[in-house]
Amino acid sequence: MTVSVAPSTVPSSRRRALRVGPASWPLRPRSVVAALVLLAMTALFMALSMRLGDIPMSVLDVLHAITADGPDHFVIMELRLPRALTGALVGAALALAGAITQAVARNPLASPDILGVTTGASVTVVAVIVAAGNTWGGTSGALAEVGIPLVALLGGLAGALAVYALAWRDGLDGYRLVLIGIGVSAICTNLKYWLLTVGDVNDSSRAMVWISGSLHGRGWEHVVPVALALALLVPATLLGTRSLGALRFGDDTVTGLGVRMNLARGVMILAAVLLAATATASAGPIAFVALAAPQIALRLAGVAQPPLVVSALMGAVLTTGADLVARTAFTPVELPVGVVTAVLGAPYLIYLLVRVRRKARQ
Amino acid sequence: MRLQAVDVRLGYGDRVVVDGLDLGIEAGTVTTIIGPNGCGKSTLLRAMGRLLRPSGGEVLLDGKRIDKMPSREVARILGVLPQAPSAPEGLTVADLVARGRHPHQTWYRQWSSDDESAVGEALAMTGLLDLGERPLDELSGGQRQRAWISMALAQGTDLLLLDEPTTFLDLAHQIEVLELVRRLHGELGRTVVMVLHDLNLAARYADRLVAMRDGRVVAAGPPAEVLTETLLAEVFELDAKVIEDPVTGTPLVVPIGTLPQHPPR
Repeated sequence: MTVSVAPSTVPSSRRRALRVGPASWPLRPRSVVAALVLLAMTALFMALSMRLGDIPMSVLDVLHAITADGPDHFVIMELRLPRALTGALVGAALALAGAITQAVARNPLASPDILGVTTGASVTVVAVIVAAGNTWGGTSGALAEVGIPLVALLGGLAGALAVYALAWRDGLDGYRLVLIGIGVSAICTNLKYWLLTVGDVNDSSRAMVWISGSLHGRGWEHVVPVALALALLVPATLLGTRSLGALRFGDDTVTGLGVRMNLARGVMILAAVLLAATATASAGPIAFVALAAPQIALRLAGVAQPPLVVSALMGAVLTTGADLVARTAFTPVELPVGVVTAVLGAPYLIYLLVRVRRKARQ
Repeated sequence: MRLQAVDVRLGYGDRVVVDGLDLGIEAGTVTTIIGPNGCGKSTLLRAMGRLLRPSGGEVLLDGKRIDKMPSREVARILGVLPQAPSAPEGLTVADLVARGRHPHQTWYRQWSSDDESAVGEALAMTGLLDLGERPLDELSGGQRQRAWISMALAQGTDLLLLDEPTTFLDLAHQIEVLELVRRLHGELGRTVVMVLHDLNLAARYADRLVAMRDGRVVAAGPPAEVLTETLLAEVFELDAKVIEDPVTGTPLVVPIGTLPQHPPR
């Protein structure tokens, strides 16, 4: 068996090939470089983030504490590493969900928010916190540890199911999916605000922290579900990369290429929903990562459609980076990470909208 | 017969466009479907390319029901170029053409040397080698249409269905596209079915014309037999003279005016 990296024989094409015996994959050097750089950045941001806390440490202290026994070892391994990991994994999952959604909806402005996942999760969590508030002694105890993520997961899946059921009409049309998704999201968002206004002030403020998306106090129990979801769904989506690429064409072209369109769309959307729902369950709906990361990733990699791996790594960089800003910008006040991503993401969304409009006018 | 529509009923929702139509396509021929707007010619082509499921009758590919065959297997025999196809923003010509290899690929064989040579040949055949890395949106209409045909070529299918491949092109570019179709047929022996609006070009580039009206086939055969003054009156409500094309000897339609409308059927 031979492994070869073949230069392109198609003149003026950047396509190279990685060939192992009978197997072959296209190789894009720029994507590989982008992925490695983003991976290094994620590690750096995680290390920088792990310095912060009641006991300040240097990056070297952090690295030392990982291997050496002692009180620092506990602080890093049980408190700071899970938090940093949650940030990276949640960011990766959201970005991957975003990349899939944008490809299926054929729209750079699409994100799992329009699949009903994040808004469904938000409204359910707010409803539970507000309704359960005094009865169950708030959500401070065991309920917060297991209850809220579970409720968020169920709420997210229910929201997605509602959107999917309403959008289905002899098949799944990307445009119809976007419109229905926006409608369902609007209903959920308004319900959420209504619940926040009628709820007890203390419950509402607790709910507000959750719905802005926060990594505060995240432990291994938040890491494991997202890690499992990613371990299962990353290989699954990578297998579907080719179909995903084809799905970005018009319906007739997709069918003409021999893709079973509705099946492929359904499977990919399901993967996106599961990724977004588990991520939201762990850290709340962190805004804009799913929207922005795939679009930044495709510009970095210099390709026409969001590259899955580079998008996921970009999501990890954005989330860990934003958390770093959230924790250091206004010390000693620590902001929820979702506030920072929203502040950074809003101008980016406006830029995208302006660009799409300009394209449409040409 | 390579491709056959047998007693098909086609439509969208409750609206029936074609009912009880039969049409067979012989291997190695260029067949062009002509007819007035709304006569069901594109609908028929879409059904023959399994883009539209008939509500009655069946479409047979090499004698087998096309809707019972795996879509991927169909895609290795039959390529379709839809009317006004859409591609993702920013896609390059080479990436578009490479996408044509989809039905030949699996998750572990995504860019074999076969794929690469097929894409190279398809680009060369359509004269697009120098434009490979250009984004599709930046090309002229004629170049873009050539790129789409190149994608269908890379798919390497014996059968090609082209839905109005010359729409929105100026005359020179229309000729360019149709010359390409002629080479596909002449040099590679491909079987082509296409829908065209220009009757004179249809007569020049087809072995067989199929004239449709109101979802029926009115006449089918060699252009010289089909494209007559009576047929033009019956199918297009067109008063015209048909003379011999001084260049190719095929029928040439010279319009005089429209005829009074038939009573609605």
